[in-house]
Amino acid sequence: MTAPRIAVDPWDPSYGTPTGEAGLQESTARLTIDFELPGDRWKPLDPPSSTWRPEEVLIVDGIRRVDARVWFMVDGEPAPNLGLAASYAAGVVRINGRAQLSQAEVRRAILTACPEAEEIRAPLTSYPIIQSAGADPDALSLTLQQQMRDLELLVAHSTRSSDDDLLLLDGPLRGRTTIPRTVGYIKTHHAMYLPTELNAVVADLRPGQRTPVFTIGTTWSRHTWYIKLPVVSDMPWAGVVRCECADSLPRDEAFRLADATTALLPGLASRAHKDPRAPQNLTPIGGLEKLLRHRLGDPAKLHRGLVVATRGDS
Amino acid sequence: MTQVQARHEGASFESDVHLIAEGTLPGEVVEAAEVSVTRVEPEIYVPPTPGADVRRAHDDERDAALYFDSMERRLPIGLGRDERPVFANFDFVDGTKGAHVSISGISGVATKTSYALFLLHSVFTSKVLGPKAVNTKALVYCVKGEDLLYLDYHNTALTPDQELRYAELGLPAQPFRSVHVFAPPRPNDPAGTPNISGRAGGAASSMFWTLQEFCRDELLPFCFADAEDDRAQYTLLIGQVAAKLKRESTPVGDSGAINIAGLTVRDWAGLVRLIDEQLTDEDSRRDWTPGATALGSINAFLRRLHSSVRPLGALIRGDLDLRGRVAVTTSEAQVTVIDIHSLPDRAQRFVVGTTLRRQLAEKEASGSSEPLTFIVLDELNKYAPREGSHPIKEILLDVAERGRSLGVVLIGAQQTASEVERRIVANCAIKVAGRLDAAEASRPEYGYLPTTHRQRALLAKPGSMFVSQPDIPVPLAIEFPFPAWATRVSEAGAPPTPASSKAAEKVRRDPFARVADTAPGGGEPAPF
Repeated sequence: MTAPRIAVDPWDPSYGTPTGEAGLQESTARLTIDFELPGDRWKPLDPPSSTWRPEEVLIVDGIRRVDARVWFMVDGEPAPNLGLAASYAAGVVRINGRAQLSQAEVRRAILTACPEAEEIRAPLTSYPIIQSAGADPDALSLTLQQQMRDLELLVAHSTRSSDDDLLLLDGPLRGRTTIPRTVGYIKTHHAMYLPTELNAVVADLRPGQRTPVFTIGTTWSRHTWYIKLPVVSDMPWAGVVRCECADSLPRDEAFRLADATTALLPGLASRAHKDPRAPQNLTPIGGLEKLLRHRLGDPAKLHRGLVVATRGDS
Repeated sequence: MTQVQARHEGASFESDVHLIAEGTLPGEVVEAAEVSVTRVEPEIYVPPTPGADVRRAHDDERDAALYFDSMERRLPIGLGRDERPVFANFDFVDGTKGAHVSISGISGVATKTSYALFLLHSVFTSKVLGPKAVNTKALVYCVKGEDLLYLDYHNTALTPDQELRYAELGLPAQPFRSVHVFAPPRPNDPAGTPNISGRAGGAASSMFWTLQEFCRDELLPFCFADAEDDRAQYTLLIGQVAAKLKRESTPVGDSGAINIAGLTVRDWAGLVRLIDEQLTDEDSRRDWTPGATALGSINAFLRRLHSSVRPLGALIRGDLDLRGRVAVTTSEAQVTVIDIHSLPDRAQRFVVGTTLRRQLAEKEASGSSEPLTFIVLDELNKYAPREGSHPIKEILLDVAERGRSLGVVLIGAQQTASEVERRIVANCAIKVAGRLDAAEASRPEYGYLPTTHRQRALLAKPGSMFVSQPDIPVPLAIEFPFPAWATRVSEAGAPPTPASSKAAEKVRRDPFARVADTAPGGGEPAPF
């Protein structure tokens, strides 16, 4: 009996694994395999040499951080209301020969379901109130996520200046499908969308290749494709990312975006010794997150500011 | 400004610079400059707030930052990096508050001698001395090559750009006006003409000492001015013999020859032979050395004396025509150049020792520090080494320690300040460093240079200097213009008009010239 072959997951364990903590779940999504090629002719595709190369690539990402948990105690109510005092930021890296932080916005807010909550003015900054639909921590967290996504869109819109650019959004494209020339970039795979025999095509991808474009429909529908980034690991699905674009796009436009990203992304892949989530966490995204995190400010100072600002009330 | 660094902000790995340069990682180039504080006015030491505006000081502000506004008499010492003049407080040069200049740096690259002469030029022409500049003298020793023999020649390699730099400093781009060169006599030349090849015009005289002067002035100790000599046992003997020579010698004729113990001596070899005979002879020895002197010491003394015949034979003479002779003195011209580059080491020491002592004695006798005398001496580590003691070092120490009150200012240059007598360097108010050797720069003698300056001194270009002066807490990086005087034959322009000094006249006087001038009867053609 031969010993099993071993492959080490390239990601730092504290970030989980690219295929999700629980392993790939069988997907129940509606699937249109033959959007580009019929299922029996599926094979890894190389981007044609004549593929569209955008003159400018805009990469948008956001980060968020909970600075403090606050409790709103309303007279007459039995339990205090939880609020999250959070800082979040979104920024754009413009790549056109050189990579530059083209815009960065930092916001702070307290997310809570307590309707009587009022803005907190801390010595360094102030935290306005954003009402959340749900009061439990997960709902607040989701609201924060949504606020960050909105901010991402805001900065993305205000930086766009060219008709020949490509906008790469970190994360799924849900709710953002109307922006032209936009691709969502997904690092972590939670669901196995393809049937087993076509997953073999994903496993066969060599760096710089993609699968044919297919369409998936869950609560929303989009075109998607897998791309293999340069990676040194024998793990199946190592270095595989998924990109998606709006399903409202014509076929040719979807193929053009698929080819362009396949040509573009391997050059942006990060290196294992510099990024714990290499190669999926692209170099510009890693740099952007670092810059944004820096701009969020010192968490200890913000926390102290909140403590000082609220102390006098009691 | 002490340090400037540029880096990529946003790079956390060294190799991230490639990613930023090829345009995948966002990053900005940041340049940060570290400056050192020169002046706090008013004197309340609070730090500037981060983010406060920084501006470069110009004009009056710059002068205030560098304390030029508080200097009453300002000596231009070069141009700063902003191409504006940098000054030294002349009070620390002329002896009012301090004196002496020490210049250190690697030979060849550091241009020590050029800078010493530039300072001299500045002293003479910057009007900092006022009317006294006319009488101020300089004694310059030409130790290496002929580069100091053309100080009064225009430099043909001087470009208009460099002339502008002189103008910026307020100095004329001109050679030294009044220069007199003393050179050793040509070997085997019975007329004793100076041994100078390239200097066609301008004053030049032959430099030698007559036997008569040698005995009268007790110059014998300067024949023993080697490091080798200071350990020997015969130092007492030197003094005894010198005293005996002074006592016993009588002049013979008018060529400087002497008569001792009934014998006439006409050259140095003859005098050495005579001393040898007198000391070897049992009977006469008692007259020369009172008490019991070990025979070993006498033999060692004689051996050293004999070895001096070749190096010193050309300089100590009793056979030359002394009419028209110009004694070695600074009174002939503003700048007196003593050319010793062609002499052997022992003769160089003899000349330096003799002339320095004479200079100091003259100043002592005059009793006044005015007018000033500047002494430019290279290779200070040879004449005043840290270890040991010999007559020249004693004189240089004397200059360094008493020169301030005597009006004698030493501009000393050396490759390694660490090898020069500590008391001499310590007495120099103005310290200058050019390009330094890496090992040398780390020595405590350069403590006046902050660490960053020391590192920069390893890279200093020719013509760049770091000048430290008591008034300014940081050394200033300066550049000085290309010499306006020729430093070699190929650069020498038109020779200066000769006969500007009476010395030159005397040298050129032909015994028959007067006859030739007057015979034709008032310039009329001869009647035949």
